[in-house]
Amino acid sequence: MSGVVTRSAAGPSVEGSFTALRTQLQDAAATFAEGPDALGEILLGIVDDVDRAVREPLEIFPVCHHSPASALAMARRLREKQPKVVYLELCEDMAPLLTELRNCTLPVAVQAFAAEIEGFPAEWAPLSVVAPITEASAEYQAIAYALETPGVELVLVDRSSDHVFQWEPRDTAAPEAPADPDAPPVEEEAALHGDAVGVEIGDLRPRFAQLEEHLLRHGRVRHWSEWWHQYVELPLGDKDSDYATYRQVMLLIGSLFRRLAPGDARRVQVDEDRERYMWTRMREHLAATGTDPADCLYVCGAFHAASRVDEFGVDGTDGFAISPPGGTKWQYGLIPSSHAAIEAQFGLAAGSVSIAATVWQKNLKRNGVAPYRLVGQGAAKKTAAAAKKAVAKKTAQIPAQAPAPAPDDAADKLTGFLQRPPVIDRLDEAELLGWSVDIVRAARRNGYLASTADAIAVFETSILLAGMRDRARPTPYDFQDAAVTCIEKDAVPGRRDVRRLVEIMMGGDRVGKVGYDALPPLARNVHDRLAPLGLKLEQRGVQRALMDIAGRPELAACSDVLWMLRYLMPHGAARPIMGERRLGERSIQESWDLALGTHQRALIELGYEGVSVEQVLEQRLRRAAYGPKATAASVLEGVEDATLYLGSRRLADELGLRALELLAAERTVDGAPEVLRRVRRLLAYYRTSEPTLPGWIESFVKTAYAHYCTLLPTAFTDDDATVRQVAAMLGFLFSMESLALSLGCDRTQLELAVAQSHPEDPSKLALLWAAQLHLGRLTRAALRARCDELLGNPLVLPAYPRYLSGFVQALEPVPGLSDFVVEAVSNAFGRLPDRVLLPWLPTLITTLRADGAELAPLLVREAGRVFPGRLADLDAWIAPWRAGEPAQVPAAARRGKAGGVGLALLAAHPATCDAVADLLGCEGTWADPGAASADGLALVGRHPATAQAVAALLGR
Amino acid sequence: MSDLLRAPAEIKYAEELDWLESVDDAPKPFAWRLSPKMIRLFVLGSEPSDGLDREIPQKWFGDRSIVERAVVTLASDRGLLLIGDPGTGKSWLAELLAAAISRNSTLVVQGTAGTTEDHIKYSWNVSMVIAKGQSRESMIPSPIMTAMEGGAIGRFEELTRSTSDVQDALISILSEKYISVPELDSDNIVFAKPGFSIIATANSRDRGVNDLSSALKRRFNFVRIPVVTNRKSESEIVRFRTEELLRRHQIELDVPPTLLDVLLQSFADLRAAAASAGSDDEKLESALSTAEQIGVLEDAILHSNFFGDRALTAGTLAASLVGSLTRREPEDLAIINKYLHGVVEPRSKDEGGAWPEFLEGGRNAIASMS
Repeated sequence: MSGVVTRSAAGPSVEGSFTALRTQLQDAAATFAEGPDALGEILLGIVDDVDRAVREPLEIFPVCHHSPASALAMARRLREKQPKVVYLELCEDMAPLLTELRNCTLPVAVQAFAAEIEGFPAEWAPLSVVAPITEASAEYQAIAYALETPGVELVLVDRSSDHVFQWEPRDTAAPEAPADPDAPPVEEEAALHGDAVGVEIGDLRPRFAQLEEHLLRHGRVRHWSEWWHQYVELPLGDKDSDYATYRQVMLLIGSLFRRLAPGDARRVQVDEDRERYMWTRMREHLAATGTDPADCLYVCGAFHAASRVDEFGVDGTDGFAISPPGGTKWQYGLIPSSHAAIEAQFGLAAGSVSIAATVWQKNLKRNGVAPYRLVGQGAAKKTAAAAKKAVAKKTAQIPAQAPAPAPDDAADKLTGFLQRPPVIDRLDEAELLGWSVDIVRAARRNGYLASTADAIAVFETSILLAGMRDRARPTPYDFQDAAVTCIEKDAVPGRRDVRRLVEIMMGGDRVGKVGYDALPPLARNVHDRLAPLGLKLEQRGVQRALMDIAGRPELAACSDVLWMLRYLMPHGAARPIMGERRLGERSIQESWDLALGTHQRALIELGYEGVSVEQVLEQRLRRAAYGPKATAASVLEGVEDATLYLGSRRLADELGLRALELLAAERTVDGAPEVLRRVRRLLAYYRTSEPTLPGWIESFVKTAYAHYCTLLPTAFTDDDATVRQVAAMLGFLFSMESLALSLGCDRTQLELAVAQSHPEDPSKLALLWAAQLHLGRLTRAALRARCDELLGNPLVLPAYPRYLSGFVQALEPVPGLSDFVVEAVSNAFGRLPDRVLLPWLPTLITTLRADGAELAPLLVREAGRVFPGRLADLDAWIAPWRAGEPAQVPAAARRGKAGGVGLALLAAHPATCDAVADLLGCEGTWADPGAASADGLALVGRHPATAQAVAALLGR
Repeated sequence: MSDLLRAPAEIKYAEELDWLESVDDAPKPFAWRLSPKMIRLFVLGSEPSDGLDREIPQKWFGDRSIVERAVVTLASDRGLLLIGDPGTGKSWLAELLAAAISRNSTLVVQGTAGTTEDHIKYSWNVSMVIAKGQSRESMIPSPIMTAMEGGAIGRFEELTRSTSDVQDALISILSEKYISVPELDSDNIVFAKPGFSIIATANSRDRGVNDLSSALKRRFNFVRIPVVTNRKSESEIVRFRTEELLRRHQIELDVPPTLLDVLLQSFADLRAAAASAGSDDEKLESALSTAEQIGVLEDAILHSNFFGDRALTAGTLAASLVGSLTRREPEDLAIINKYLHGVVEPRSKDEGGAWPEFLEGGRNAIASMS
């Protein structure tokens, strides 16, 4: 505090201009706090801050983000003062990009991006900082003025992007997102910035929740944006408010929030360090160029304008050492932004940035101020022309735009402002009527049953609501409430509710666009190469590209680019509808859904990785292949991709060698199925399209043959290795055998490996049998006998289905086994009891569906061959594997052989049976022995022992 | 205060309303007794910055813009329909608004499946009709008609419970603002006086039972009352209602803030469990609304007052919670049991406080029920 006093005393000689205000505040503090202690100190401190900032020889221009009032005051002040140097609170390393704003439609964001980082925790990568710029902002006015006026220098003075992260504490991971459980899902437009860290000029908001809550409660508003709009924006954006008042009020608010912000010491530290940084940079620049501070303007957030660090001011101390940037390589670019993205990133109320944009346009019209605008900007050319006209008119009025003398800033404007009653804006009936009619029209278009009566009700309710909230003129927020009250019923008929409709009506979300010239080389290159498609790819939305490659061979190059984009960009940016790209195949016609405009940010960020898509793709493939998670299978996929998308034999060979290296080092067989699939595919491709096989694939087959032979015995017994994986190993060994042997492998290695395998798991055992069959160590008859034995043994019966699973998997290495598998499955259906069979059926189906998608057709084909095709053939059909068995004796014939001895005996001595029947309560009658069922007879014939014993007992 | 079991808002807050009326110098629409700003103040309570000589307590807890929109709607040409889930305070808000505007919140029609058009318009005193014939004297006006004649606020509770043809009787009342009585030869139109409007309430869970016709929808402004999910406002509501209850029963009992926290926390836990439950069997049948919390607390207070030792304990609260929330056996009991063992037990070990007693009480209650 003492420093403050010293410096303010050293300032220009308008000493004491705030004396009256000071006395008044002191009295107030004494009255309310019953003593001039804490409250008095805060209040007087605020005045001191304002006083000091106002007296600073280097003119400080305090701003607030997305404040049309700031932008308006800035435009006015720049026209008046015409400064030669503008210092701006923005990351200094972003400076070269600002000229590129000319080619963009705002809002866009300046981005600093680093994929490869040095000196930061690895989990922070990639680092990304964005600074969104909207048209209705003071910083844009400053940038446009500086870039469009010859001889004016724009100097960015805030810490660099590298320092943003240098000053982050290391213990927290990425900056946390606000976690609001009630928050609606993020819309596409709101996610435009990705997960970048946002930096913004003029972040001005109470730093502690109680103050904000208090302000909102007493301001009778719902959120911060509304408070700002009503209590700062409206009075300051007024025609009558002058620059000095604007400056002092902004300083006052900045100082207030600063002084009432206890808590987070780290945040305060970062803020103060930034202030030291900025002032140090400014003094360096002033010293280097010898510019007179009076010719400069320093644009910074009001929060920083009320700084109390020792480095503050042209005459501040030079004690702050700026640390050098780390080794991280930063890339810079412009990415499209949107109002919704800005609101989401900086925690503003939905629609507030759009409303600010609308207010800005209205303020311009009302106050006749000509804004600055970068020449050549795509958006709002019309307004630019209008602005030019206005400027012309203005210059006519003010013949000589000599630098205006410093305003009588130090004079106290605050007292007047603070004592003035709230600005009562007069009711703009025409505007409100327009809104009411428009919202009803919009509601009707969106399915609401709204009518003119609703327009009247909305109009009336808006005025009543504004009246209740102490304002004569309804704000957009009052209007929104009124519209919701009158039009919204119990259900939302369409996609958007009334609240959203009002937001859209009030300007809606505006999405920026980065123009062609401001794009990184890669993105420009992509657009150039896709030009033959004849589509406006820079536009947002999905566009359909139809390509007849056979008819127009030049489109083949476009197709190549699109396939690469599909590989590199997020889903939806380039989506093939028709046509596919597989090894050895090329489509003659393709159709694509392209949304490059919508995914512009992704394309631009791709541009940070390289200068062409080919380069980026190659880098990514190589990075994946050498990354810690790479496996032989994943690298083989990379080989395939390199061949498919890049057509690069060089890269494919390099990656192939890498796969070989990885395979040799692998100790598990997890990737075996994938490796088998990919190697088969690559082999088939090379055999058909190349004169000789590449060297790497030959070595790969050789190495893999030996590798899998070595691992086979352990894989058979290892519980972690699944049947499918073992089957894939065997598949590799059997199907690549001829190639491997021709390259010098030894078959005994395989035979030994199989001989050493002693699995216990039934499914793996079945797999081993199949392998033995393939190697000729087991005959089909022996295998069949083993299966019969299993089915005949009630103890192993429950495990039989698992043998079958093994056999099904064995189709992969031994496809010739399919007839046997059909036989085994049929036998299982025929002989397994239901309690074993039924629980297993779902397992069989899921196994076939998940693992054996390619095996199932094989089985079905075989079954079609074995089983009769027509119902009539079924009677005479005998399963081929039972063709050799003796035919079954018909039951009737068997029956004939049995004699009627037992039956006669029973009929002769019915007493026993009658007694048993009586005992059991059965009231049967004796049937004629001649007509008796023969079944019982046969049974007695087959098991005569009982009857004989009874006969002996009866003494016959 | 009064010898009524439950006094309507205009009687309960009569003195406060009188005082507000005496200091209210802002313009009032129609024949309203208070200005819109004063009504807001009456409902939401006063702030020191309002500059009043006395403090006005908050009576309804919720977003200020809801009250503003409701008041403004009543000042306009349309009726007000408060829509929301059960237990969100729709009827209470309606009562407060009616009391503040016209000092009469009892002109209520209760919508049921048996409500007929006579309940909305008028009916006849049959014996008088026989004795004297049809005349204004022998007519029985409905509460709505009475409100029209007096320029007051009429209320229609649970509008969507009555059938659509009955609901549609409101259309002409809301647009033409009169009811014609064709049975009478003269004096056969009852006109509404300025100040008349209707506050209806509807349960959003009833949607689809008797949907409002679009003609009627047009004549109502819908104000949706959201479910309270904010812990702070919920505790305020529970405290407010409990105090009222204690006063009504003339019970002098202290509700310790820690027990209130235990209650709020346990409801929050059970709601979270219900939200993550897969099927209805894993969910309590109760909706776990704020009103239900008040019910649990009321039960516990009455129990400790009349059967306990005149002090609310965590054990009684737990017993009341188990008793109130168990509607199906054994499903609900199993859920509560799981909650006690899975959540309350570890918490009572970690945090202590009232939780161990709460756990004990809950277990005893479950043991006695099963």
